[in-house]
Amino acid sequence: MLAQLRSWWRALSGPSRLDGEMASEMDCHMERYAADLVDRGVEPGEARRRARLEFGSAAVAAEECREAVGLRWPNEFARDLRYAARVLRKSPTFTAAAVATLALCIGANTAIFSVVDAVLLRPLPYPHPERLFSVARHFQGKGPESYQTNLWGSAWEAVRDHANDLDAAVFSDGSMGVNFAAGGRVEYVKQQRVSAGFFRVLGIAPFIGREFSADEDHQGGPAVTLLSYALWNRAFRADPSIVGQAVTLRGEPHTIVGVLPANFQSIVPADLWTPLRPSRSGEGGGSNYAVVARLRSGSAWAQANGQIETIGAPLLRQYGQDPTTRLRLISFQRGLTEYVRQPLLILWAAVALVLLIGCVNIAGLLLARAAGRTREMATRMALGSGRAALIRQMLAESVVLGLSGGGAGAVLGWLGVKALKALTPGSMNVWQAVELDWRVLAATACVSIAAGILFGLYPALIASRLEIRAALGEAGRAVAGSRNPWPRRLLVASEVALGVVLLVGAGLLIRTFAHLRSLNPGFDAHNVITAELSLQDARYATSQSVNRLFEQSLARMRELPGVESAAVALSLPYERALNTGFQRLDGGHVDTESQITNMFYVTPEYFRVLRIPLLRGRVFTAADSSAAAPAVVVSEAFVKMYMPGDDAVGRHLDLGGGDRREIVGVVGDVQQKSGWGDGNPLAAMPDMYIPATQVEDKFIQLVHTWFSPSWIVRSSGPAEGVIAGMQRALGTVDPRLPFAGFHSMDDVRYRALAQERFQAVLLGALAGLALLLAAVGIYGLIANSVAERTRELGIRLALGATVPQAIRSVALPGVALALAGVIAGSVLAGFASQLLRHLVWGVRPGDPLTFAVVGIGLLGVAAAASFLPALRVTRLNPAETLRQE
Amino acid sequence: MGKQVDILQGTLDMLILKAVSLGPLHGYGVLLRIQQISKEALQIPQGSLYPALYRLEHRGWIAAEWGESENKRKAKYYRLTAAGRRQLKTERQEWKRLAVAIGDVLAAEPEKV
Repeated sequence: MLAQLRSWWRALSGPSRLDGEMASEMDCHMERYAADLVDRGVEPGEARRRARLEFGSAAVAAEECREAVGLRWPNEFARDLRYAARVLRKSPTFTAAAVATLALCIGANTAIFSVVDAVLLRPLPYPHPERLFSVARHFQGKGPESYQTNLWGSAWEAVRDHANDLDAAVFSDGSMGVNFAAGGRVEYVKQQRVSAGFFRVLGIAPFIGREFSADEDHQGGPAVTLLSYALWNRAFRADPSIVGQAVTLRGEPHTIVGVLPANFQSIVPADLWTPLRPSRSGEGGGSNYAVVARLRSGSAWAQANGQIETIGAPLLRQYGQDPTTRLRLISFQRGLTEYVRQPLLILWAAVALVLLIGCVNIAGLLLARAAGRTREMATRMALGSGRAALIRQMLAESVVLGLSGGGAGAVLGWLGVKALKALTPGSMNVWQAVELDWRVLAATACVSIAAGILFGLYPALIASRLEIRAALGEAGRAVAGSRNPWPRRLLVASEVALGVVLLVGAGLLIRTFAHLRSLNPGFDAHNVITAELSLQDARYATSQSVNRLFEQSLARMRELPGVESAAVALSLPYERALNTGFQRLDGGHVDTESQITNMFYVTPEYFRVLRIPLLRGRVFTAADSSAAAPAVVVSEAFVKMYMPGDDAVGRHLDLGGGDRREIVGVVGDVQQKSGWGDGNPLAAMPDMYIPATQVEDKFIQLVHTWFSPSWIVRSSGPAEGVIAGMQRALGTVDPRLPFAGFHSMDDVRYRALAQERFQAVLLGALAGLALLLAAVGIYGLIANSVAERTRELGIRLALGATVPQAIRSVALPGVALALAGVIAGSVLAGFASQLLRHLVWGVRPGDPLTFAVVGIGLLGVAAAASFLPALRVTRLNPAETLRQE
Repeated sequence: MGKQVDILQGTLDMLILKAVSLGPLHGYGVLLRIQQISKEALQIPQGSLYPALYRLEHRGWIAAEWGESENKRKAKYYRLTAAGRRQLKTERQEWKRLAVAIGDVLAAEPEKV
């Protein structure tokens, strides 16, 4: 067996060498034989002649040798491919159309697959990634199951103390911008907070130094940090004696304990790491932690998962979770990608659908071509070619098409990946680069060949099923199209049906995007510039120091030419806000359990800068100082949800820890990214505003680990001078504070809708492609039937049929097929749109308007695609048509 | 030279294996040796010799290497492999059984059947 493979490989890899060897061997044979004959007295010339004669044909012998070493199949295959390429070159229009279709479809697949591969498929870049898990809450609602990986401090402690099959660590999801200073260098860097043992669990050893120890990872432990290889190079020129040196981080000296290796890929973009210091209260009182765990050697998932479920049950009840919710162990990769998984899979399905439509389209073209090649096929069969050989030949043509399309598709895919990256700056933050590597290219090659066979097989089977005599005798002379038109009609109808599915999906996402864009922002974004700034800084650990910074910097900014007003807020509209609990104290609603709301601290001018309307009562003034009565302003949505039918002004709220406040005013709603509630991406959430002067030190320290407050400036004109002015104003107050970047409120809004825009644009483009392909399919069908029926139509016209009648008889099948496709596709789309349930907002998945527009639109396109080629009938001259043949 | 016999289909492989089992040979040498041993009784069609050699090499029963022939020319020499030796043994047994069986058939007399 091995010898056979070896000789086959040798023959395959060096066919010319094999031929050379055979030739020299046989020549040698003949020469010796001739020499022997000469020895026996034969005259030399005669001897050579006889040697050749008796040997027989060397070419035949060589062919038999090649066959003997298993080269028959590859040889025939190569011949088929050569012939296929020749045939395809002879019909350049068809070939160009098919290759272009395929290139678009395969290009889209390549681009999307490169993202899917990087995010969902390629194993995490850590040792034994299959043994890494996330501890997640598992929700089994009516829809598909879903997971959430954020947990409470007490859950982490339970896992740490009781799950002995796991080596676990905890980290804070996401990374936060912080201020970093070392040796005269000030930089805004990304910091991720991780517990002791985090890198051990990932399986990564620091390049130099060590990771955090347990005594550094608790409240009040020594301030330490780990640097990324890049930051170490950038800030310290890769100084190997860096361990033990101090850097200033968040305004506080931190000791460097280690540097991570160059090839370490963080799960979130990060320049440095600090200890998480997990706790049960404060940050740990909310579900702000994520747990990563490595299965200990010898332990199995089932066993460890059992432990986790047992640990989780009492905890989840304690936090008032739904009884069907469980704590489970899911793969770390799944845990990290849960939030993008569904949109990506839907996108993947969409490009696969487009490819399928493309294949169906080309199958239709091939069928039409096959009709024109009946004589060729019949002749070849008559000359002794088997049906299998014909099918193989036609499949070779399809595979050549598929591979050419695939090659062009790989190039388009490469461009597509670039475009995707440009379209989604930042939101494709994955730990592995999205790129066209060998995995993606291998997948593209497989898809190309599979596509070739997929669209080639059916037409090949149909075309090779023919009666030789009938085909040779009568081909082209039949009165009406002699071929059965149904295979092609079926293809076109199914193409339309698949197109409906994509168009409805895209329509729903576009409607969602339009809905979200049309929401009233609730403020005036015109001429507003914002800049955020990390205050996770030891020098700004008190309410007093923070407020002094706010007052002084805002005062300077208001002096800038063109600036009308300026304020600071913990977070902006269209961003995700801080969630906090509160209880109502009066006004007919007295709570015993906490309610949830969005919460912001703001400086008094906030509402004026953003022009958020005051509805009742008052907004804050300079009089709402730390010494004044605690005040709170709420939004209209807050009143609607928690105090329906009440005036709200004058009521009291308890924010916990004895912080009781009076509602002094009600303001209009603004749109926000909602982290809770019904899962709307954007909504007018219940909001609560408190004066920045009235927040406690502890609260300041906690929220500034998650949020960088924003300076908001309204100017009377263009922003250019304002940005430089803001930076200068801040610099005169504290030269060591850098703004992280400047954005207009329009940018903020644009970013907030990035995912929805991305989905709508991409699916819209794919659906447009599907529509185009369906139209081309119908056009081709009708154009072909006009060509096939020229003679019949000529007779009809000669017998007195009017031109409109003839046009109708040709075009109507196209419209009828489209109608059938639309009906079938609508049923399919009805099911498919349910999959989009979690991505569709402001419109129902079964939205009748979307279905109607798609249906009518497609029928319109189908009618155009049918009647345009049918108009050729007007150019028919009955007399001439009949005289042909 | 006696009367020449065309060799039976399928026995060529066995004859080649036997020929090279006596020592490495080049293609023409195989032909000569078979003719010589059979005292020129077996006539091997020269054109079918090489496909047979390639087939046997492909199956791993004989191995080929390039060497120098008696007249200082590059020639491809074939020798028997271990697998070829086993194959030759089975073929020889098969042949004997076949020969005996055919002999029995031909020796049969009407009254004994």
